[in-house]
Amino acid sequence: MKLLIIEDEKALNASMVSYLQQGGYTCDTALNYHDGSRMLADQHYTCVLVDLTLPGGNGLDLVRVLKKNSPDTGIIIISAKNALDDKITGLELGADDYLTKPFHLSELNARLRSVIRRRNFNGQKVIRIGNLEVFPESAEALVQGRKLTLTKKEYDLLLYFVTNKNRVLTKDSIAEHLWGDHIESLDSLDFVYTHIKNLRRKLVEAGSEDPITTVYGMGYKFSI
Amino acid sequence: MRILTKTSLYYLLVSVIVFLLGGLSFYKILQTEIYDEVDDQLFTDKENIIEYIRSHNELPNVTSGISEAIIVRETSAHAGALEALSDTLIFSTYDEEYVPFRKLTFTTYQDGKPFEYTILKSLMDFEDLFESTMLAMAWIFVLLLIGLAGVNYFINKYNWRNFYDTLERAKRYSLTQRKPLLLKPTDTQEFQELNEVLQAMTGKIHNDYLNLKEFTENASHEIQTPLAIVSSKLELFMQSDNLTQAQAAMLEEMHASINRLSRLNRSLILLTRIENQEFSENEIIPLHELLQEQLDQLHEMMLMHDIQVEIEDMQPVFVEMNIGLCEILISNLLLNAIRHNSTGGIIRISLRADELCIKNSGEPLQEEPVTLFERFRSGNKLSGSMGIGLALVSKISELYQLTPSYTYEEGLHVLRLRFQKNIT
Repeated sequence: MKLLIIEDEKALNASMVSYLQQGGYTCDTALNYHDGSRMLADQHYTCVLVDLTLPGGNGLDLVRVLKKNSPDTGIIIISAKNALDDKITGLELGADDYLTKPFHLSELNARLRSVIRRRNFNGQKVIRIGNLEVFPESAEALVQGRKLTLTKKEYDLLLYFVTNKNRVLTKDSIAEHLWGDHIESLDSLDFVYTHIKNLRRKLVEAGSEDPITTVYGMGYKFSI
Repeated sequence: MRILTKTSLYYLLVSVIVFLLGGLSFYKILQTEIYDEVDDQLFTDKENIIEYIRSHNELPNVTSGISEAIIVRETSAHAGALEALSDTLIFSTYDEEYVPFRKLTFTTYQDGKPFEYTILKSLMDFEDLFESTMLAMAWIFVLLLIGLAGVNYFINKYNWRNFYDTLERAKRYSLTQRKPLLLKPTDTQEFQELNEVLQAMTGKIHNDYLNLKEFTENASHEIQTPLAIVSSKLELFMQSDNLTQAQAAMLEEMHASINRLSRLNRSLILLTRIENQEFSENEIIPLHELLQEQLDQLHEMMLMHDIQVEIEDMQPVFVEMNIGLCEILISNLLLNAIRHNSTGGIIRISLRADELCIKNSGEPLQEEPVTLFERFRSGNKLSGSMGIGLALVSKISELYQLTPSYTYEEGLHVLRLRFQKNIT
């Protein structure tokens, strides 16, 4: 799967490339509007990550062009502007998602997966890791063919882990993924712990080995 | 008071004074003139009478046409010559009232004997003249009033029309509209100047506003980008295999701080944007539905804290607000009630047409309730909150003229939002 990352901040661009490459994506990068526009014309990408404030032009124009010329390409807008109208315009123009900087790379990865899954109708409908199967369409998970009874949050957590398997996920990023803006004023880290504890118990009870390991005090890692 | 009403009142006041003084002096002048005239006539009569007596050696009778009334009285010789003018009232049996007269009394000799003559002239004509003058003045006054009202009406309608139009447009002008203030050109010099000044002023303010807005957005952009870089690098760093536990702990702390900083930055940007009134797209929101939605979303958190929610009242209430801000408002109120609750506590909610009331159990406040809605106030440090939630509530309330208030009643924190308008 080929991605194009159009972001003028070199360091951030490199971080995204580094994280996403580990997830098996091929990444092209563009640091300004014209390079981005040229590369979009030359090649076909599965998904494009585009910043709105680019040297040489507005990312929204790229979204517009892309939507016209290559409607099956997924688009995620990455912007430091949390301006509501930009978000609305972006989504109206046909962007699939809108991420405000700063974001967690794991969150970006999860959103990217979700966009690709939604767009890729004929593709993979089940994610298999060891004896675990996750069906994003029906929001179900099976262990050794047996259905897990998960709450909505536990399922979201599992999908987040599966999408970012073998990566260290911080409690903050998990909390933000599960609760969004609400986490701002809640002692969410205890909740994360509780949810992870429950998810682990359910996975183990269903016959899986415990796939979630605690990485020092830093966070959690999912690996089978 | 309208300026026209005010000027009219001044005009009226001056007119009343002018009419009073004018009437008074008119009266005085007229009186003097008429007295002069009447006195002249009386003296002429006197000369005529003396002349008559001299030539005829008898008194003129009433029909001789010399005077209206002559009263003759014999007088003693030593009384001396006398000549006096005075006013007098004589009862008229015909009019059945006293009638003012001017009388001249003088002494003259007939056959060597002194006689006192008194001749009279009625001042009735003068009284009549005075009355009709006053009546005429009153009529002129009334006509002036009517004229004034008419002139005012037309000035109001045609001359001031442009001014009121400008006023109305200026009232409706909002910086967030992104449209310049357009005013109708007028041929009245003062109003045209006013329009030009207003347009120049709003233009400048609008420019400043745009600059400020741009600065805010740029500032957020400039801060968010380095934050994003640090955050992403830390996350990549965390993926390293050979970290020691101490390094991992440091990374975790850095990451958590960066997160906190970026959330804080976002909230502050949001506050600024609310202050800048950038959320001007309002819609009618069913508050009861939104409240229920937010309660459902927070249900899990309440369960974890073992908090019971009691709905005391949930009436359908519709408010006109920006949907995003309304969500932030409600969720911050509810989060506040959860956060400052005790485990196993309760939250009581009542939504009525005039107010939303959220009560929650919890320890009494350590500080003054007035500081509650300020920024960076958090009751207890252990929660790690930034104390910006209620500042947001207060800002949003201010924007929509809702009045938030806090009381502590029977062991419950009570936060009320009073709706004033916006209710449809």
